Amino acid sequence: MEAHTPVIGGGRSALERSPLARLPDRVLKWGLIGIAGGVLVLIAYFFVRLIGESTLALDRFGVLGFTFHNRWLPSRLVFGAGAMVFGTVVTSAIALVIGVPVAVGAALYLTELCPRRARYPLTILVDLLAAVPSVVYGLWGVYVLIPKLKPVEQWFANTFHFLPYVAGHVAGPSIFIAGLILAIMILPIVSAISREVISTVPPEHKEAALALGATRWEMIRMSILPYARPGITGGAMLGLGRALGETIAVVLVIGDDPAIPHAIFGQGYSLAAVIANEFGEGQNVPIYRSAMLACGLVLFVLTLFVNGFARAYVLRGERKMFAAAGGGGTQPGESEVEAAMGV
Amino acid sequence: MSTSRISAVVLTAAAALGLAACGSSSSTTPSSTGSTAKIAPATIDGAGSTLAAPIYMQWASNVKSQGLTVNYSAVGSGTGVADLESGTVDFAGSDPPLASADLTAIDKKGKPAQFPMAFGAITVSYNLPGVQTGLKLNGKVIGDIFDGAVTKWNSPEIATLNPGVKLPSTTITVVHRSDSSGTTDGFTEFLAATNPTFAKKIGSGKLVPWPSGETGAAKNAGVAAAVHQTSGAVGYVEQAYALQNSFTYAAVENSSGKFILPTIANTSAAAVGLKVPADLGLVAINSSNPAAYPIVSQTFIDVYKDMCKAGVSSSAAKGVYDFLNYAFTTGESELGPGSNQLPYAPLPASLLAKDKTQLATLTCNGAPLS
Amino acid sequence: MTELPHISARRRRTDKIMRGLLAGATGIALVPLILVIYYLIYKGIGQWSVKFFTTDPNGNFLGYPGGIRSAILGSIEIVALASLIAVPLGIAVALYLVEYGKKSLFANVVRYFVDVMTGVPSIVFGLFIYIVLIASHIGGNFTGWKGSLAIALVMLPIVARSAEVVLNLVPGSLREAALALGAPRWRVVTRVVLPTAAPGLLTGSLLAIARGAGETAPLLFTILGANALTLNLSQQMNALPLQIFNDITSPRNAIVARAWGAALTLVTLILILNLIARAAQRRSRMA
Repeated sequence: MEAHTPVIGGGRSALERSPLARLPDRVLKWGLIGIAGGVLVLIAYFFVRLIGESTLALDRFGVLGFTFHNRWLPSRLVFGAGAMVFGTVVTSAIALVIGVPVAVGAALYLTELCPRRARYPLTILVDLLAAVPSVVYGLWGVYVLIPKLKPVEQWFANTFHFLPYVAGHVAGPSIFIAGLILAIMILPIVSAISREVISTVPPEHKEAALALGATRWEMIRMSILPYARPGITGGAMLGLGRALGETIAVVLVIGDDPAIPHAIFGQGYSLAAVIANEFGEGQNVPIYRSAMLACGLVLFVLTLFVNGFARAYVLRGERKMFAAAGGGGTQPGESEVEAAMGV
Repeated sequence: MSTSRISAVVLTAAAALGLAACGSSSSTTPSSTGSTAKIAPATIDGAGSTLAAPIYMQWASNVKSQGLTVNYSAVGSGTGVADLESGTVDFAGSDPPLASADLTAIDKKGKPAQFPMAFGAITVSYNLPGVQTGLKLNGKVIGDIFDGAVTKWNSPEIATLNPGVKLPSTTITVVHRSDSSGTTDGFTEFLAATNPTFAKKIGSGKLVPWPSGETGAAKNAGVAAAVHQTSGAVGYVEQAYALQNSFTYAAVENSSGKFILPTIANTSAAAVGLKVPADLGLVAINSSNPAAYPIVSQTFIDVYKDMCKAGVSSSAAKGVYDFLNYAFTTGESELGPGSNQLPYAPLPASLLAKDKTQLATLTCNGAPLS
Repeated sequence: MTELPHISARRRRTDKIMRGLLAGATGIALVPLILVIYYLIYKGIGQWSVKFFTTDPNGNFLGYPGGIRSAILGSIEIVALASLIAVPLGIAVALYLVEYGKKSLFANVVRYFVDVMTGVPSIVFGLFIYIVLIASHIGGNFTGWKGSLAIALVMLPIVARSAEVVLNLVPGSLREAALALGAPRWRVVTRVVLPTAAPGLLTGSLLAIARGAGETAPLLFTILGANALTLNLSQQMNALPLQIFNDITSPRNAIVARAWGAALTLVTLILILNLIARAAQRRSRMA
């Protein structure tokens, strides 16, 4: 940038630049528009192709029939993915039930109660869970988690056998273990988003509660949680979205049984896992291949819905915070939230 | 450190790694060790049977020094044949002979050639502390276990066959293949032939509707690992995997009423006196030989008769020819019961001769490859 | 001086219990991390040796099963190509959204579609590349570069999202000052906006690369895997996550041990990328 003269082009006003000098501007602008458009076309093509390839199976078995009917018989070319949908949903639900309270609790501790010096290192450690790739979680799950938890699970199944869906033989790989590993995998996302949301609670709210004599926990309960609830819910749903699509860790520990298990410690299947295991065989049989892609489509639509809800919730929460914060300054949390969602 | 410094470090590291890679990549100087045929450098891709994967991977390792790179992906017989049909691999490893449905699909690209390569016993391996190898089982009992009718190890069906063996009261954890598998095909064929209820309920094939409540694992290795890790588990595992990990496995009753252990000798016995059809698509399950282990699976390498016409490059076609030639000359001698041999039963001489004859008929766009 | 209201013992107890629970939650959150790292090191470090990093998996049935050289180098190549595709494209999309599109309809549609892309399970991207490129035999069969494309699809929305956030943080005043001084738009972008945002862009890109390096599912149907070392991206290649995945289900203890060593290698590489990203973030002029 020239510092010696504020005028470019030998004394002419910038508005009078020749068309040739405007060329780089045009090139940049239209080049970027082209790239953005190209990405759009790519995603649209992806969607169209996915739906197109799934039509065969969805027509043959009906959209609802394919998605909810529990009858997966590749040898007879009958495909109803009910058990896989069940497995996907249940493992993700387990992941939420276990993971969200832990993540939110940790987020609360780290933002509100943690001694200042420990805050940064502990935060980094919790975030580090996100750096472990899925296949390593799978390895650890198969050789550490499953053998170590098996006696505990068997004890639990025997002691609480009167509870529904608990009794039965524990073989090792199970829906529960898959849910547990998913819980670990969504911890960093939910925790990061919760931390951001919690840290944007206006200090006045917190101080008001404390000034009125509330204990720390009461302050958290009265001032922080209600305020942060939409954002935290949004974060939980983003975690759910991540859990739904997780393939590799799940396929290694879920037991690969295309049926609805009788107990939480029984084996099951998930949409992503069945694709990983059976796509190779089915690639050339048209109805089989279509069924595999239909599984991918169902999975994709599920995550679409969940992510859509999440965004709506997070945005709603932010608008509330924005308004409450007086309507000034930059949007709190959205940048970090978005960054966390992307990573 | 400023951003540019960091970028510089990253780039230098990447460059260093790249240089190391270039420096250490093996230069292909084919060393003629006096082996039977001269092999031209090539890269060939194959996929399929996990039963035979240890064989092909060992052979691949052996021919590497001569410049032939063989990439074999053990993805299961079903996927392997499917890959061959779609033309994404040069050869497929398949345990079952090509079925009519496969043949119709393959015919779109050309006629296939099946080469029987070896025989492997499918063991019924179990993980029962305190119970040794040699538990006596027959097709009826095994079928009942695998279709869920028999659930505990000390049930009467098993106990009557094994008087004097102390059986624990553990629940049986059944492990089966979750991917499309030639091993499943061989195993279920045997069960369907010896257990009518099993034949009706489950049937036979590469993918069968196993009853719920059982554990699925991908590939022979996966089933082996699952059995290895779960006390009380039983699974059907190829002999090589079972022997390598010192599994305990059953002695299965064959068609002559004898309880036979899956040793290499008993596996080879199943290959004797087999009916060999013209396209070499033989089946070794439930052999009538009284000394044979009843659950012996054959395994094939499938290629197109005219590979280049089917889409394979000419160098890859020559590579496949060389690989098969190696297999039929040197490779077969590496299979057997010896301590540094691969634990599979090699082809009997008559079958080997048939393979060599068929090998000579492979062509590339009409020109013979030999 | 008014006294503060007296806090009952019950409330004090509840407070203590809940604070303990929250601290406990943090502890619980850290337990898996500690266990994973512990076992990775405990089982994996023994595998690390010169032979481990300089030999390929050899497929030998007996004896030493080989190291992971082809996997590491294959991963580096595949991820490098994927980054070369995804990072510039992602930043370009973000640049468009921030500098030109802003809140227009087209820009919002692009934003929405990029968001949608983040939610696609990575295995579905692998399927897409398989159907479009491999089943149709375009450019060969299973090849390394098709795996790169699948991974690039996973990385693209991540890069675009984080780049958009970073570019939005560049103060408008900087842009306006440059424009007021007569600089053409393209100069403002290349000489003012991009350099200011560079540390943040680097962070976002490195995190996306770390994510791409750990992905297995997109590779299952695109590169298929190989034992032998090849640096030729138009052939079947090996990759570290794929190697680990295949080794996990092996009944041979030696191969499972190799999986642990490979896992430790992969996590170490990813951690290094993460640390560099964090260092860049701390140096950011806008942090």
